[in-house]
Amino acid sequence: MKKTRLDTPTLTRRRFLVSAAVVAGGLSMQLRPAGAQAAETVGQGSELSPWLVIRADDTVVVTVPTPEIGNGASTQQAMNIAEELECDWDKVTVEFADFRREYQQPGSYAVGLQPFFGGHSTDHDRMPYTLQLGASARERLKTAAAQRWGVPVEDVSARNSVLTHSPSGRSLRFGEVAAAAASVELAEEPALKPQSEWRLLGKAQPHKLQLPNVVTGQAQFGVDVTLPGMVYAALLQSPVHGGVLKSYDPDAVKDMPGVRAVVVIDPSATPGSPVTASPTFGFEGSELRSGVAVIADHYWQAKKALDALPVEWDDGLGTFWSSNGKMHQRQDRVLDQWAGTALTKAGDVDAVDAAQVVEATYRTPFCEHAAMEPLNGTAIYSQEGLEFWHPTQDMQQAFWVAVDESGLDPAKVTFHQTLVGGGFGRRVIGDDVRAVVAIARQYPGVPVKVIWSREETTRQGSYRTQLAARYKAGLGEDGMPLSFQGETCYSGMPLNIGFTDMTYAAAGNIPNVRLQTSELPMHIATGAYRAPCYNAHAFTVETFVDECAVAGGIDPLEYRLRLLAGWDPAWADCLKIAAERADWGKPLPKGQGRGIAISNWPHPGEKQAGATVCAVAHVEVSQAGKLKVHRLDFTFDCGRIVNKDAVAAQLEGGIIFGLNMSLNEGLTIADGAVVEQNFDALPMLKMADLPEINIYFEALSGHDRFGIIGEAPVGPIGPAIGNAIYQATGKRLRSTPFRDADLSWS
Amino acid sequence: MTTINFTVNGQPQSLDIDPTTPLLWTLRDHLQMTGTKFGCGIGMCGACTVHFNGSATRSCVIPVQAVDGAEVVTIEGLSESGDHVLQTLWVALNVPQCGYCQAGVLMAAADLLKRNLNPSDDEIDAQISNICRCGTYPRIRAAIHRAAEELKG
Repeated sequence: MKKTRLDTPTLTRRRFLVSAAVVAGGLSMQLRPAGAQAAETVGQGSELSPWLVIRADDTVVVTVPTPEIGNGASTQQAMNIAEELECDWDKVTVEFADFRREYQQPGSYAVGLQPFFGGHSTDHDRMPYTLQLGASARERLKTAAAQRWGVPVEDVSARNSVLTHSPSGRSLRFGEVAAAAASVELAEEPALKPQSEWRLLGKAQPHKLQLPNVVTGQAQFGVDVTLPGMVYAALLQSPVHGGVLKSYDPDAVKDMPGVRAVVVIDPSATPGSPVTASPTFGFEGSELRSGVAVIADHYWQAKKALDALPVEWDDGLGTFWSSNGKMHQRQDRVLDQWAGTALTKAGDVDAVDAAQVVEATYRTPFCEHAAMEPLNGTAIYSQEGLEFWHPTQDMQQAFWVAVDESGLDPAKVTFHQTLVGGGFGRRVIGDDVRAVVAIARQYPGVPVKVIWSREETTRQGSYRTQLAARYKAGLGEDGMPLSFQGETCYSGMPLNIGFTDMTYAAAGNIPNVRLQTSELPMHIATGAYRAPCYNAHAFTVETFVDECAVAGGIDPLEYRLRLLAGWDPAWADCLKIAAERADWGKPLPKGQGRGIAISNWPHPGEKQAGATVCAVAHVEVSQAGKLKVHRLDFTFDCGRIVNKDAVAAQLEGGIIFGLNMSLNEGLTIADGAVVEQNFDALPMLKMADLPEINIYFEALSGHDRFGIIGEAPVGPIGPAIGNAIYQATGKRLRSTPFRDADLSWS
Repeated sequence: MTTINFTVNGQPQSLDIDPTTPLLWTLRDHLQMTGTKFGCGIGMCGACTVHFNGSATRSCVIPVQAVDGAEVVTIEGLSESGDHVLQTLWVALNVPQCGYCQAGVLMAAADLLKRNLNPSDDEIDAQISNICRCGTYPRIRAAIHRAAEELKG
């Protein structure tokens, strides 16, 4: 079979063309790569969905190639289009793009956008395209109105979905000329208006478009998909990752009420894609995990039968990891050698004659995403095709995993994106999609909804990478580092953002630097977790720098300012404003303390890039050791923002996520398996646990970028709290979660 | 199989069903009312909160046999047209992020406001023990305070 390849990086650099077509009495707008044929048929009922449709009733339908995981990405994209379209915001709705169009016409959506169907909407590469669509549609509407009135188009204005001819006072609704606008030929596509003339972006803060359906229970998440004749599956996979099903006894449950089938989830049975596939992140990590599933008329029946099903596992090699203590012992063994791969080097760390040496080891654990919507998906499979509904974070990844697990031609695979009940990185790689397809493939012709129990969701996580780090700094007479050496030991997916490109090294004020990485391979599945690995590097780096400040006898705020001298001044602004608002330096009673931390995602090693985030924590620790986080003061710089309330929501959520991660989260491994399974053993912050959270916008630099904001705030919260605990108690916390630490003092 | 009779959002329902089936799955799978969400199955997260004879109750740990003769109200029945003061404010204040847990939070909050039109932060914290992984807690609290103000007129 002929293999085809979608070379997305090339496509992102290609020019695009705007094209228009009539659809259902309205106007549809598309983008397509230069040189490609315009789609013959577009619009409602067609498999080829356009970017933008303006219907005769003025409704504006924006097709979004971004999943909606709660960050408002779909709403933001609609706002980008509405800014230039000059439509009435109340007329705007969004629909998720059909990935098949991207497959059949590569570049239809991905041109110039992030080369995958995930992420955010204000990206520098992506935004010009959505703005252009709005502008190009608006000019076609204006021209159509001008032609109808026989007046110069210069005299026609568009505002709030109404076209007005000022000299005569005549007006038309968008919908009245939408169909005519489709045949308008423009000499050239219009230029975008300058940002200074934006009226929505940077100003309006509308609610997310899906909220009216969310608050009435009408919104459809993955687990809510309901199809005629649908059956349900409950599944159980090897509790020790990498283990395999040794035996099971379907006869023991086949006569239980509602039970239709017991099927095996067999990694060796994956058919594979008939064409060269282009999953965003490759297939690694999406492989099937050996297990068994019960299919029944109702979920409760499937679950009861699964619970009663006798199952034996061959655990495999993972049982070597008997306990967390064993993992830590092996981490130390690796780090003791200081033999990792050096990725960042300056000067010679071994040639430094230091006045004192600071050295410490830090640990951050495996953590479970614990999205509130348990893993699930729905699919119907036959030889004619696969149709599936899924709450994925990455549509391109999900599509290709489904192709690979069905073995069907991509043209026969139809994917419906649903709302996503929390992602945080767990729903990126598509192992859940693969399991759903593997089960549905064995029960063809009938829609099967597969639901992981909370326990199974937790056991089958793709957790935050476990990490240990050791740092060693040689301080000069002035207390500042002459040398800075670090090694990070990963167990799981490694990502060095915030470590090898750490700002303190990039700023150039430490003459001798050596940063190296090593691995302690384990069987535990890991993956993206809200700012992957950065969320750990921020803790280790910012705690160690704090230790250096203390050893050097310098205030931790002042220490950071000196290390960042000459760097992007927004960093100093973030530090100073957060400190000032938090009354930094003002004396506190014994048992209380303040701590500060700063970090940047995803460009810590570049000036004026990404999002720089800073937190000051104010904590109190009772003599018995009970920790109370009183207050978090938070500053940030992502350049500019287009929706203040949406940014605030992401900061609030990220701060609370970072708080929970640092205080509560850490999985226990016993005999190779994760011990914690449900929320009785996975402590989660609740409303009663919230500190006062103050977010300040004053450190925003106004630099011309819209840095991504949802992940960065997770970083500085833990180290700020840990550094505050040190000030309060003299106890230095070098591992998370803090709930494991004895904080008592006397 | 047992016949269970109860009302959901004022509508009488009669089901032949395994009496151990949790109310959550009865609503979702048997009545196709998917507004009530599955989060944990052990009554810890609150995503499945409904009103059971007028009180906020976690439906994942209530076997359907316990609701025989009872009145159940779900998020779909919190108001006639989605305009309960909490629903309106939840939208206006952009409370939900992913939104998955919010039906349960809304049902818990509505129950609180039925009994207490002047809730303190502590009283809100005590009543709303739901888990929201997106971290919408500050907005939930603000919206409940504002709803209480509006209800007091």
